[in-house]
Amino acid sequence: MSDTRMLDQGTTPIRFARGWHCLGLATAYDDGKPHSIEGFGTKLVIWKDSKGELNVLDGFCRHMGGDLTQGEVKGDNIACPFHDWRWGGDGKCKEIPYARRVPLRARTQRYETAIVNGQLLIWNDPEGSAADRSILPPELPEVMTDKYTDWSWHTKEINGSHCRELIDNVADMAHFYYVHFAFPTSFRNIFEGHTATQFMESTGRPDKTEGGYSDANSTLKSEATYYGPSYMINWLTVDYKGFVTEVILINCHIPTGPDSFLLQYGIAVQKPEGLDEKTVNYIAERYTESFGDGFLQDVHIWENKVAVQNPLLCEEDGPVYQLRRWYEQFYTDVADLKPEMTDRFEFEVDTTKANEYWHAEVADNLARRAADESTQEPVSH
Amino acid sequence: MASFVPTDPDTLEEQRLYTSARMVEVQCLDCLAKVTAKKNSDHHTSIQWSTGARAACPELCRRTRPDGRDSHQACPRMTASIDAAVRSGEIPVGADDGY
Repeated sequence: MSDTRMLDQGTTPIRFARGWHCLGLATAYDDGKPHSIEGFGTKLVIWKDSKGELNVLDGFCRHMGGDLTQGEVKGDNIACPFHDWRWGGDGKCKEIPYARRVPLRARTQRYETAIVNGQLLIWNDPEGSAADRSILPPELPEVMTDKYTDWSWHTKEINGSHCRELIDNVADMAHFYYVHFAFPTSFRNIFEGHTATQFMESTGRPDKTEGGYSDANSTLKSEATYYGPSYMINWLTVDYKGFVTEVILINCHIPTGPDSFLLQYGIAVQKPEGLDEKTVNYIAERYTESFGDGFLQDVHIWENKVAVQNPLLCEEDGPVYQLRRWYEQFYTDVADLKPEMTDRFEFEVDTTKANEYWHAEVADNLARRAADESTQEPVSH
Repeated sequence: MASFVPTDPDTLEEQRLYTSARMVEVQCLDCLAKVTAKKNSDHHTSIQWSTGARAACPELCRRTRPDGRDSHQACPRMTASIDAAVRSGEIPVGADDGY
């Protein structure tokens, strides 16, 4: 028998996670027109009714499959462009203009909604339960006041990866050095109930300038919590040469298929006192850019890797197996949940040896670069 | 309904090794909470709470911020109890092939 270790790629689930999923800023949907977004293996239609409520239904009409996102808002309902069947936000067909009566079974898939931090969230559950509002992500007290910049919101389609790849980052200490060019000096996880948290402190690598977390002049304190399967709030304190900025990063996604998802992220920066609006906006844009770059660094890895059910870990790695055990709860029928999926688990990664080796490597890189530059210098003149 | 189904039976054994092998029971010195813990090195700690232990910990029970951020910190009494168990040799320090 061979000692060669094989990758177990396993099979990915055909169901989508139970829980709250963010569709983006609520203002993107509130102009009274029908809007479309891919999600949960279908297309969703979103519109605002006369009471100002946002409604979300499956985008395809239960009559003959017409595309409701190309329909019209009529009164409080969305009207199908094919035969004008009118659907209400509660999922019931309210009117068929040419019919004597509406069939009793005319109910489509609706998604319960919530607005949190100015964002539209919807509840998904393959078992069809009522939305659990007790596990909504928390409201951020000062965001959306004049103490913070407005959300800078961005989306990115990811193909060829299950969204669990994105979740794995919560427990992945070493990728911050290799993918995001930072030294993670402290790294801790706590998983409990529907939340999974990562605490990290890091400084940028002086031998890299490619954005993300790589600025050697800045020190980062990061606390990032997933509230449910797909909505993370990341509280960041960035110390740039003694100038401290509080940044809030929302990292969320909606699965679109078994191996694709739409990543969305938004950034709000606490306005530093004594700075004019223009400077504050400039700072916010720079942070948006650098964290956006950070996601792109991840995306390149995800799009080229394979799924692994049996990752092989070393002593410096984070608790990937426990994180996945936590994440599994969202793909499990409520009746089949196991206590270990939600029981509190704490893990502190030992970063001491890793940082010792990494600092030596970076010192080598800098020395090599300095040597290269000094030999090239005469040529450049 | 199954999800993320491993195709290799050895994967189940890997799951066991990484999540529960070498975990040692630790009783809190101040309350009735009993957890399991592991130390792969001086700076590493892995702590598994049960529902019962969580409910028995007065420190964690006092933390009730709606955003949950206060309960994302360790209980200092449990941390001290684990440190004591390491000093007395009940919890060995060192990893076994990475787990």
